[in-house]
Amino acid sequence: MELSKPFEMTQPAISQHLRVLEDAGLVISRVEGAKRPRRLAKAGIDAMDQWIAMLRKALERNYDRLDEVLAGIEHEKRGGRK
Amino acid sequence: MSKLTLKAEGDTHIVVTRRFAAPPEAVYRAHTDPKLIQKWLLGPEGWTMPVCINEARPGGKFRYEWTNGKGGGFHITGEYLKLEPHSRIVHVERMHLPDPTPENHVETKFDADGTGTLMTMRMTLPDAQTRAAMLATGMERGMEASYVRLEGMI
Repeated sequence: MELSKPFEMTQPAISQHLRVLEDAGLVISRVEGAKRPRRLAKAGIDAMDQWIAMLRKALERNYDRLDEVLAGIEHEKRGGRK
Repeated sequence: MSKLTLKAEGDTHIVVTRRFAAPPEAVYRAHTDPKLIQKWLLGPEGWTMPVCINEARPGGKFRYEWTNGKGGGFHITGEYLKLEPHSRIVHVERMHLPDPTPENHVETKFDADGTGTLMTMRMTLPDAQTRAAMLATGMERGMEASYVRLEGMI
């Protein structure tokens, strides 16, 4: 309930967003009577950061190689060497 | 000239953009011709793709197998849903680690950008379990590299 106050969203909408974050391992909730306090899951966020960094590095390496492949295709086209 | 951007789109997708100096025809060809794919779609340093089967037609299948030459490896299988030469490719794929991961739905667009190409790739954000499995595959490689460095220091 408290988490929906700063946002222009209904409480069910906020709950749905929180559920997605919880399923993704980024938020942890516990039950305290009628309340469900949430906290950020540091391990989950670190794991996400790590994964993004790995993906970025692999893609950068791939596309740098692709630049070379493309330069080869262009060279072949201009030089007429088949 | 060509900085990669990588952004989350909502909770479910990742969008990657990259500019290339070559026209869309060439970039599209490099994404669909197995002989060319084998030269660049390799990920971290030291990996190769000994098997690259690619039926670039709607409904066609593909299979890419990677190895790090030290007993480590995995493969991806997928199917093409749409191929619009030379502007758009839509496909699904899953990694076998060795259990198949949930389907990754990928749309890759090639737009003319001056004399070059702006590529936009939109893919499914894998779930936490898949991300961990992918990280384990990649980190194996990173750890080997650090062991080699360590040996050099001793």
